[in-house]
Amino acid sequence: MNGLTLSETDFLDYAPIGIIILMAVTFALANVVLTLMLGPSRKGKTKGMTYESGMKPIGTARKRFNIRFYLIAMVFLVFDVEVIFLYPWASTFPNIEPRSPEGLIWLGRIFFFMFTTVVAYIYGFRKGIFRFD
Amino acid sequence: MPRTLLDIFGNPFIATGVGIGAVMTVLSINVLFCIWFERKVSAWIQRRLGPMEVGPQGTLQTVADMVKLLGKQLLTPAGIDKPLYHLAPLIIFAPVVASASLLPFSKSVALSDLNIGLILVFMFGGFAVVGIFMAGWGSNNKYALLGAMRSVAQNISYEVPLLLSALSVVLMVGAQGGGQIEIGDEVIQLNGLNLSHITLAQTSGLWFIVFQPIAAVIFFIAILAETNRAPFDLPEAESELIAGFHTEYSGMRFGLFFFGEYSNMFIGAMLATVLFLGGWDGPLLPGPVWFFFKSYLLIFVMMWVRWTFPRLRFDQLMAFCWAVLTPLAIVNILVTAFALKVVNG
Repeated sequence: MNGLTLSETDFLDYAPIGIIILMAVTFALANVVLTLMLGPSRKGKTKGMTYESGMKPIGTARKRFNIRFYLIAMVFLVFDVEVIFLYPWASTFPNIEPRSPEGLIWLGRIFFFMFTTVVAYIYGFRKGIFRFD
Repeated sequence: MPRTLLDIFGNPFIATGVGIGAVMTVLSINVLFCIWFERKVSAWIQRRLGPMEVGPQGTLQTVADMVKLLGKQLLTPAGIDKPLYHLAPLIIFAPVVASASLLPFSKSVALSDLNIGLILVFMFGGFAVVGIFMAGWGSNNKYALLGAMRSVAQNISYEVPLLLSALSVVLMVGAQGGGQIEIGDEVIQLNGLNLSHITLAQTSGLWFIVFQPIAAVIFFIAILAETNRAPFDLPEAESELIAGFHTEYSGMRFGLFFFGEYSNMFIGAMLATVLFLGGWDGPLLPGPVWFFFKSYLLIFVMMWVRWTFPRLRFDQLMAFCWAVLTPLAIVNILVTAFALKVVNG
């Protein structure tokens, strides 16, 4: 550490959140353990079978699925990364003087930045990524 | 500025303890209340009575259900992926509790007052997707897997309009009163990512739903989809997928999913209140009363929507997100940014 005391850092602001997560996990585990102790524990080959509406399960559930889900995930990544960059911009952009050259330059830059995503979006749209049939 | 519990108690351990107690109590009461409320609202819409047997007007029905869940057998089906199956309820449940501690419910007191509160709430919301997919994949059940696939596709798709519509509010916050606000003799530089500042920016003028009606509607629809509520409840469409991703969960493990789901709804409503309805801002009554009143009003609207509209088809759901909501949200941001810098002098 470079000579900072604990109260000078943000640690005390964020530590409660970590502790709350730990407490929530403890609460959840306690609930599960309580059910394990209170509930019955009968076992059996048919009882432990995977539920498939009363049929005997056919194969496992480790199957291939539609490629469209993968495409949606890729488009989501494009937009998500865009949003990551837009949030810092959005929190500082209003501080720039309105109608000043600087403000207009930043407006133009962000328009261009979003335009690049819109191009990807239009490409995906024309490719039919969002058409489920 | 709101005082945090740390300022009030001084000792971080006591402050954290009180905070955790408060959050868990509020969330538990909310879940108990919401389940009862949902059954009553649905009964009212369908001209039934709803639960009437346990307690006055059936108010203790949910408590009875909880006790029943505790007494059920925890079934662990064959062929599961053990770490994924057992971790999934925790991963859905824990972030919900954490994000509930971030929301500013009052002017004077806050559980935490962070500069990046908005981002943290969205981050904790994102964990739900991971948990849902772990549950679906780990169960080794075809219904669960299909439900999880649908749920992940739906959740990540609707996250885009959700984040983009919240972005226009972040833009608005910094523009209120030149980005500064005076409280007493204190001048605060508004930070669009701080949830208390978002509320403060709305107290001096109109609520953001007036400036950003399109963003508010997009945000509300996205919240419905993110919490897997009807008409977007395809992940657990009971007529086709039994119960979706939590088909193989029983007893209190299922209870944790249920707890997470209803708490998510509550957090979504609270976040919408903070962003668009002015949070604790309101005349006469104290701040927390207004805050919870607005949140429960939104929850009522969510239930109203659920019991009024039929479920969408999956292709309609995805087309609605990508072809309508996302372009609309992008245009909304561009218009907002343009208006802030060019029109509004």
